[in-house]
Amino acid sequence: MPQQLAIIVLVDIGNALESRSLKDNTYLFDNMKLHGSENQGTGDLVTAINGAYWSDGSQASEQVLNWLPYSLGSIPPTVPRSYQAARTQQADRQALADLTALTGRPSSDGEDAEAALSAIRKNVGTRVRAAGRSRALAGQQVLDVTGKVVSDHGQGLHNYPAPVITDVFGEAVDEKIIYPAAYGSPDLVTDGWYWSATVDTSRPGTYTYKMRIQLHELVQRAGDWTWEPVNLVCESRLQVVSQPRRNAFTQAGLSYLPLAPGVSA
Amino acid sequence: MTNGVGVKPQVNIAVVVDVIGALSDRSLLGGNCCLIDDGPFDSTGQGTHELHTAVAPGQVVQWYALAVDLQTPVEIRNITFLGGADAAGGAGPGERVVDGDHLDLNVWSGVVPYSMTRGVPHRYRLELQMYEGENSVLHLETPGLLCV
Amino acid sequence: MTTKPRQQKAAAPRRPISITAVVDCVGALAAGNTRGHVYLYDTNKAGGSAGLGTEQLRTRVTAGDQLLWNVLALECEAFVAIDGIEIDKEVCEPVRKVYPGTDVSYWIGTVKKSGTTEVPYQIRFKLGTRDEPLTTALSPALVG
Repeated sequence: MPQQLAIIVLVDIGNALESRSLKDNTYLFDNMKLHGSENQGTGDLVTAINGAYWSDGSQASEQVLNWLPYSLGSIPPTVPRSYQAARTQQADRQALADLTALTGRPSSDGEDAEAALSAIRKNVGTRVRAAGRSRALAGQQVLDVTGKVVSDHGQGLHNYPAPVITDVFGEAVDEKIIYPAAYGSPDLVTDGWYWSATVDTSRPGTYTYKMRIQLHELVQRAGDWTWEPVNLVCESRLQVVSQPRRNAFTQAGLSYLPLAPGVSA
Repeated sequence: MTNGVGVKPQVNIAVVVDVIGALSDRSLLGGNCCLIDDGPFDSTGQGTHELHTAVAPGQVVQWYALAVDLQTPVEIRNITFLGGADAAGGAGPGERVVDGDHLDLNVWSGVVPYSMTRGVPHRYRLELQMYEGENSVLHLETPGLLCV
Repeated sequence: MTTKPRQQKAAAPRRPISITAVVDCVGALAAGNTRGHVYLYDTNKAGGSAGLGTEQLRTRVTAGDQLLWNVLALECEAFVAIDGIEIDKEVCEPVRKVYPGTDVSYWIGTVKKSGTTEVPYQIRFKLGTRDEPLTTALSPALVG
């Protein structure tokens, strides 16, 4: 069973977009603190990867890295990413029901109808366009950080979509220490895609790697609100250590089990 | 995988732990820990904390700890065979608790001795380390080996 | 031609300041306390918040700001939720809400008044299946 190492990449998207940089706007965590990872929760995480080898020198454990990008201050990842679509549908259904109710009314109270239509419009929100690879976001409504549909995008109340890792590269990849790739997954938390890498622990040392991260910015283009991708890069480090395995009973090689004396029938 | 005499040479005992459940309850009971082996004989209590693994002299027994939620750390901290009746006095080098930092490098395996008393359970104390801190070590004294 | 969403104006509704607790659920349960296992962040670093990534986050606020607290578990399978926020009711009275259509909760409240003093507060967490909640050992604060 390979050891699953998770690296959480928490991005302060608002500030990152403002400064067009992930530096000081990215906080990294892993589940290897006990094994020597350092600087948890900062932009300077060093992830410890403790490899092990058998007495014949062969690799004794397989380590798999998984990256999980999250957005600080957004609807948390425990709410499935399909939530956006589900909320859009629900708002549509509500609007349809409201319209039906409205058309069934006598036409005399014109002012009321105007107010009712305006309320419906607010409920439905305005759909957004999305450019490039962000097509998954197109046609959906914009939610605020509490999950409500936002109608006036100009107020900047929108919930940022989660960041997306689009590449893992740099020294650790060039040196063939990690073999990263994007994988499909039935897990809705990761929206069906995640980056993962196997690690060659046979060459201890500290290696840097970079992540290309796509954020989305809500901008108005030719009258339409559009999620535009913004690609930024951040860096982190891996510290690979490799140690020999040992028999825990003997601290050396295999021997007889240390049974207690005096156990008799 | 059989040796010359037709007996499977190694028995694996998987210690499967719901780490968050065990730490929340501060107990390995209540379904938070279960043991399973792949031995060739009639072990009893498969999938419970009372697994009695049937073994034969000369077989290698190896224990593994495995977290249900793959990303949480759990390691075997110690395995100590318990004395006759309910005497808690363990014996042998298994008592030595090694440096907690590198429990992941341990291989918990040993050969069933030919002198092992047959037909009676040899219970062992299984200590598990989950992360670190005051409540991080929990143990069971219910599993055992039984020589056929 | 592009326009960015307008920046916050006094009259318009403002984006809430989000305060996110990243919790190492296994670490906190194993230790029996939160020390070193809770990392607090907010989205108002540009406005002057300090201590991001520690248990002693100082969130810069002004009267009228909406504050939204939520949690993120370091282990994605772990259950973590805020059980309560203990803060001077004169300053803020956070209430528990859920994201519509889910059982995932957040806490939200409006800053009633801001002064020059720090207002420390405590967050109580529900972790895993543990019955008793764990309370932050070191206090975060609102700074007006």
